Amino acid sequence: MFLGRVVGSVWGGKEAASLGVNKLALVRPVAFPAHGPVVAVEADGADQPLTPALKIALDQLGAGIGEYVLVGHGSRIRDLTVGPFLPTKDVLVAIVDSCHVDPALFPDADTGTPDASGVTP
Amino acid sequence: MILGRMVGTVWATRKNPRLGNLKLALVRPYFWYDPSHDVDHLVAVDQVGAEVGQDVIVCLGQPGRWAAGDFRCPIEASVAAIVDETRIARKSLSDAQARFALRQAFLPASLQWTEGDTMAEDRSR
Repeated sequence: MFLGRVVGSVWGGKEAASLGVNKLALVRPVAFPAHGPVVAVEADGADQPLTPALKIALDQLGAGIGEYVLVGHGSRIRDLTVGPFLPTKDVLVAIVDSCHVDPALFPDADTGTPDASGVTP
Repeated sequence: MILGRMVGTVWATRKNPRLGNLKLALVRPYFWYDPSHDVDHLVAVDQVGAEVGQDVIVCLGQPGRWAAGDFRCPIEASVAAIVDETRIARKSLSDAQARFALRQAFLPASLQWTEGDTMAEDRSR
């Protein structure tokens, strides 16, 4: 499971019938960069940096744009939340109220080389 | 299982009902571990009572669901143990690939370096 932020939603003109009326949310994972300060994720707080990745997750909780969410990945997560016949592997399992991170636990400077995507490790 | 540091906690009220009152811990892995997404963190259920700043072992997949107490809860990872001490042979990491290497600025709090070439050699001392 990862923390992400809803940045939009997706609609299909023609969708797989089993998708039904379910919403699809565009989610970008939250980045906790090795460089720079870390701010606490709050429902309406300061913007936490996001990774370049863009995920499409099934949303049955009704998350709004800008909200932080918890996304589960995998067929088992899908079976346990929305049932086995939906063509998706990413499902929103929670809408995050707050997430407290201690900035002191993160290194100020990282001697390692980040990946091309800017994501470590 | 992967080794990481618990760096924070996550609270949510609107969530899948099977998540119940499970405590959610934000964990940053020390090593690359083949995540399903390009992320540098993971959210794990904590049933052992880990505190922020402690090193934890995180169990992924179905065993993680067992560790959470209910195999039907939609989670991917749970904290399996709180680490007291980590021992790594310094030389065994010298030629590791970059993504498997420990980062100088982000080392396990419980880390004890040993000087053996390999773990086997270290154990035989």
